[in-house]
Amino acid sequence: MAENDVVLRFEGASKRFPGVLALSDVAFDVRRGSVHALVGENGAGKSTLIKILTGVHRQSSGRVLYNGADLNFNNPHEALLAGITAIYQELNLVPTLTVAENVFLGHPPKASAGTVDWRAMRVMAGDLLKFLEVDIDPGALVRTLGVARKQVVEIAKALSMDARVIIMDEPTAAIPKKEIDTLFRIIRTLRERGVTIIYISHHLDEVFTIADAVTVLRDGRVVDTMPTAELDEAELIRLMVGRELTEQYPYHPAKPGAEALRVEGLARKGVLKNISFSLRAGEVVGVSGMVGSGRTELLRAIYGVDPVSSGSVYVGGAARRFAAPRDAIEAGIALLPEERKTGGLVLLLSVMDNIGLPSLKKLSTRGVMRDKDLTRTSERMRDLMNIKTPSLKQRVMNLSGGNQQKVVLGKWFARDPKVYLFDEPTRGIDVGAKVEIYNLMNRLKEEGAAILMVSSELPEILGMSDRVLVMREGEIAGELGRGELSQERVLKLAIGGESIGRKTAVD
Amino acid sequence: MRKLMVAVLVVACLFGSMARAAENREYGLSFPTLANIFFATLQEAVERKAEELNVNIVSLEANNEVARQISIVEDMIVQGKAGLLLVPIETDAVVPAVEKLNAAGIPVVTVDRRISPEFGVKVLAHVGADNVIGGENAAKFIVDRLTKLHGEPKGTVIELYGFVGSGPAIDRSEGFQRIMKQYPNIEVKTQTAQFMRDEGMRVMEDFIVSTPRIDAVFGANDEMVMGAIEAMQASGKFDFSKLITVGFDAIDDALQSIRDGVLTGTIEQFPGKQASQGFEVLYSFVAKGDKPASEVILIEPQVVHKGNIDELY
Amino acid sequence: MSAERMENGGGGVLKTFVWFWNKAGILVVFLLVCAILAVMTGGLFLRPENILNIVRQVSIHGVVAVGMTMVILFGLIDLSVGSIIAFSGILAAALQVKWMKGQNELWMFAVAVFVALAAGAAVGFFNGFVSTKAKIHPFIITLGTMSIFRGVTLLIGNARPITGMTPLFRRIGADEIKWDWLPFVIPYPVIIFLVCVAIAHFVLRKTSFGRSIYAIGGNPEAAYLSGIMVDRVKILTYTILGVLSSVSGLILTSRLNSGQMTAGQGYEMDIITGVVIGGTSMLGGEGSVLGTLLGVLLIGVIQNGMNLMGVQPYWQTIVKGGIIILAVLMDRLKRAFQTD
Repeated sequence: MAENDVVLRFEGASKRFPGVLALSDVAFDVRRGSVHALVGENGAGKSTLIKILTGVHRQSSGRVLYNGADLNFNNPHEALLAGITAIYQELNLVPTLTVAENVFLGHPPKASAGTVDWRAMRVMAGDLLKFLEVDIDPGALVRTLGVARKQVVEIAKALSMDARVIIMDEPTAAIPKKEIDTLFRIIRTLRERGVTIIYISHHLDEVFTIADAVTVLRDGRVVDTMPTAELDEAELIRLMVGRELTEQYPYHPAKPGAEALRVEGLARKGVLKNISFSLRAGEVVGVSGMVGSGRTELLRAIYGVDPVSSGSVYVGGAARRFAAPRDAIEAGIALLPEERKTGGLVLLLSVMDNIGLPSLKKLSTRGVMRDKDLTRTSERMRDLMNIKTPSLKQRVMNLSGGNQQKVVLGKWFARDPKVYLFDEPTRGIDVGAKVEIYNLMNRLKEEGAAILMVSSELPEILGMSDRVLVMREGEIAGELGRGELSQERVLKLAIGGESIGRKTAVD
Repeated sequence: MRKLMVAVLVVACLFGSMARAAENREYGLSFPTLANIFFATLQEAVERKAEELNVNIVSLEANNEVARQISIVEDMIVQGKAGLLLVPIETDAVVPAVEKLNAAGIPVVTVDRRISPEFGVKVLAHVGADNVIGGENAAKFIVDRLTKLHGEPKGTVIELYGFVGSGPAIDRSEGFQRIMKQYPNIEVKTQTAQFMRDEGMRVMEDFIVSTPRIDAVFGANDEMVMGAIEAMQASGKFDFSKLITVGFDAIDDALQSIRDGVLTGTIEQFPGKQASQGFEVLYSFVAKGDKPASEVILIEPQVVHKGNIDELY
Repeated sequence: MSAERMENGGGGVLKTFVWFWNKAGILVVFLLVCAILAVMTGGLFLRPENILNIVRQVSIHGVVAVGMTMVILFGLIDLSVGSIIAFSGILAAALQVKWMKGQNELWMFAVAVFVALAAGAAVGFFNGFVSTKAKIHPFIITLGTMSIFRGVTLLIGNARPITGMTPLFRRIGADEIKWDWLPFVIPYPVIIFLVCVAIAHFVLRKTSFGRSIYAIGGNPEAAYLSGIMVDRVKILTYTILGVLSSVSGLILTSRLNSGQMTAGQGYEMDIITGVVIGGTSMLGGEGSVLGTLLGVLLIGVIQNGMNLMGVQPYWQTIVKGGIIILAVLMDRLKRAFQTD
C-alpha cells in the first residue's frame, strides 16, 4: 500500500478511562476511498475509537495519523472542519427545519450583505441530493421524512462540509430493508468520489456486501485487519467472539405441557382483530409479521398496557383481566419490551435495583425492603444470567447491550413467571450475547415456562420457535409448525398470499 | 401599534359618551394589593363612602404588579368610568395610564402615593400622608424616647427596610435617616425584611446575634416590627419596658400590641380617612362640578402610642 | 452527543471540578462556606445562639424541601407549596381565633392541627390526582393551585392577618427541648424537621415505595412495565408534600403568632433551590434527602452570614440567583459526564 493511499493510521493507540482500558495498543490502516468495516462485540472498543476520530476523546498513548499528520482535535467541531464526521444511530437533525436548512446548519451560504442566501442554500442542497440520486425536496420539513431519508440528509450535511471521512454507526439499524440498497448505492457513489467510509454494523452480511476491508476488535484490541474478500462469515464470527460458535440458533425441541396462556377473540379498535391462540408450558411460539402488523401491540394488550375492546385472556385456564401491567405480573406474566432502554431498564439505577424492581412486594415486609434478600436474589441472577458487571451496585447504563438485556431477563426470572412475552429479545446485541440469550430461553423452556417471542429477524424466528404465528394487519394470518417453517412461507403469510394452518392449529 | 391605540381610544370615547348618558355612572378604584392590610382598609373605607353617597364603585386590586394596574386602568377607560380613584403601585409607571385618563376626560384622584408634578399629567387632587414625613416622625419619636431613657440621644437602632425598590420603603427610610443623621451618637443598622413578618423575625434573629445591644427598632411597616418583636421575645434578652419598637401603618395587631404594652408606637397615616376624603373630592367634582380647594391634601402622619391611643380610636 | 462535546470542550479542569463536586460536593462546599463565614464575622457565626437561629430558620423551608425532594426525584415540580403554607396556616389561625373561640384549648389545638394537615393533604392529592389522571404537567396544575389557595387564604382572612394563637399552639414554634445532659437546646421546629428528614431518608432508601420513586424518576415507562402503579405513587407523593407544607405552615403560624396572607410567598423557589443544590436532579431519578438537608442548610447559612455581615439586600438577591444557576449547572454537567 503506497503511503499516500493511507488516510488514517493507528499506531499503538490506547485509551484509558478510570479503571478501564478501553483501547489497547490499536494499530491498523484505513485506505483512502475505501469502505472499512469495524466489527466487534459491544464493548470491544468501537465507540471509543470513533470518539477519538471525531475529537470527543484523545488517546492516552500512541498515535493516530490523518493524512500523515497527527490527529489533534480538541472537539468534534475541529474534526468536522478537518473533514471527519460521524453519523450516529440517533440522528442529529432539527425536525422543525427544512432539509436545506439542516444540510447547511451552522455554515449557511452567505449573500454579499452577510445575510443567509436562502436561494443558494436551497439550490446547493438540491445539488447534493441529486448527486446522491435521491428524490428529496430540499424545502421539505425534516420531520416529515422517514428515518432512511433523514439519514440521507445527514450524509448530504456531511458532504456539504466537504467530509473526507464519514463514520457510519449502525446505519441500517432503524431503516427498512428496501432502503438499505439505496444506502449502499450512496456509499458506493461516495467511495468513487474518494470519500472514505468507516462502517460499523452488527450485521455481518452487510459487512460482506459493502466493505472492502474489515478490522475486528475484541476487548479493546485489534484481532485482525483483512480484506473482506479473504474472509467468510464463520471465520469473521470466530475472530469476533474468539471462539467457535457451533450453532447460531441452539434450538431444543419442545416437550409441551399444560396450557399456560390462552387468548380468545382479543381485539383493540384499529389495531388488533379477533386474535385467538394458545401457548403451552415449555414451548417457544414465534410471532412474525411486517412492521405495523400488530405484533408489539398484541404483547402490550395481553400485558395490560393498552386497553382492549373485547376478548379474553386465560392464564393457567382461568380467565383474567389486566387493568395494568401489575395485574399481569401478579398472574405470572413477564414482558421484555422492544426497547430495553426505554421500557426494560431504569438506566440510572443499579443492576441490583433493576433486578428487584418487579419483585418489590415480594422482597419487602410491610413496605420495608429486605436488603439481604434483594442482594441474594441479584447475586443468583447475576450468576444464572452470566451478567458481566464489576459490581451489583454498578449502574445499568454502564453495561453493554447484551449484559443489559440479561439484566432485563434476570429481573423477570427472579419472579419465576409462567409466561414470557419477548419483544425483539436480541435487538442490538452482539453475536456472542445473542447465543447466551438463546441458551437462557432454552433453559426457561426446560423449566416449563412458555415463551411468546416477537422478532423482526426471520432467521431468529425460524431458528428458535416451536411454532410461529404470522400476523398481518392486526390479525393472525396463519400458523406454522416447526416442520412447516420456511422463510418463504412466513413471508407469504405476512404479505398476504396465503392463509394456512389456522383451523388445525387452534381448536 | 399607534393606530391601534388611537382606535382603542376612539372606541373608548364612544363607549364613554354612550355610558355617560346613563344615570348614576360607576366609579373605579385601582389599588396595589389586597394582601396588604393597609390597602384592604383603604378599599373598605372607599366602599363604605360610596355606599353613603349612594353611588356604585368597582374596586380592583393589581396583585402588586405595575403592568396589571395599567391594564386595569385602561379597561376602566374603555368602560367609561365616571371617575377614578388611583392608588399607584409605582408613581412613575402609571403616568402613561393617567395620560390616557386625561385624554378620555376621566377625572382622577390619587391616594397615598403622589405622582410627581413634573410629569405634567392632570390629577384632580392628591390625598395622602407623606411617607417621608411619616419616617421623620417615627425617627423623632424614637430620638425623644432615647433621650428620656438615657438623658441624651444615643444608642443602637435597627431599621427594618421595606420591599427593596418600592416607593414607600424608599420614602419612609429617607425620612427616618434624615432625622437620625443629625444625632452622631445614634448608630443605625439597616437590613431589609421585605415588608414581611417572617422576614422581620428572621432578620431580627440574626441582629440579636450580631449586635450585642439594641435600644430601638424601627420597621417600615408593622408586620416587620411585629415579627422582630416575636424574635426578641423568644430570645428572652430584652426588657420591653425599656426597648423602643416603632412600626408603621397602625394595623389592628399593632394597636393591640401597643395596648398590651409591647409595641411602643406606630405611624398612623389614616388610610381610611385618606381614601374616603379622596373619594369625596372626586364625587363632588363629577356630580356637582366642585373643584377641590387644594390640589394636594396631606394628612399629617401621626405617631400612635400608649399615651394617645385611647383618644384616637 | 452534546454531553460528549461538552466534556472535551471544557478540558480537564472543569472535569476534575465536576468529579470533585460529585464525590464530596455539597458537604465540602458547606464546610468551606461555614469556615469562611466564621472568619469573616469574627466568630460571631459560630456562636451557639447563631447556629440555633440558622437551624430554626432553615427548618421551615426544610420540612417542605423534604417532600419536594421526592417530587423532584420524579423530575416533576410543585409550585403550590407556598400557598399551602399560607392556606393551612390561616385555617389553623382562624379556627383558634375566630371559629372555635373560647373552647377548650387542647381540643382547639387538636382540631387546628388536624384540619390544617388534612387541608394540605387535600391540596396535594388534588395536585397529584389531576396531573396524573388528566396527564397535565404538574407545573401547570400547581401553578393553578398556587394562585387558587393564595386567593382562598385572602378570603378566609378577609385580607387581614389573624393574630393571637393559643399558648399551647404557640409552643410548636417557640418551645424547645432542654435536657440537662445536652449542652444546647433543640427547638421544636428543628426536631420536627430532623424527624421528617430521618423518616424520608428511611422511606427513600429502605422501602418499596422509595424504590418506586427512584424507578419512576429514572424511567416511568420501565417502572410501569415492571408492575409499579406509577400514578398511585405520584399521587401519594404529592399528598405527602401537601401534608409537609401544612406542617411548615403550622410552624410558621405558631412562630409568628399570626396567620399571614403573604406567608410562604416565594418559598417555592428557595425550597427548590435547596433541593437542587443538595444534588437532586431536576431531571429526576437521582438525589437524596440528606443532600437536601445540606442544601437548605447551605442557603440558610449564606443568608444568615450576609445578614451578620450587614450585606446590602441587593447583593443578597444576586448571590441567591447565582447559587441557583450554579446548582443547576452542576446538575447538568454531572449528567453529561455520566453518559460516558
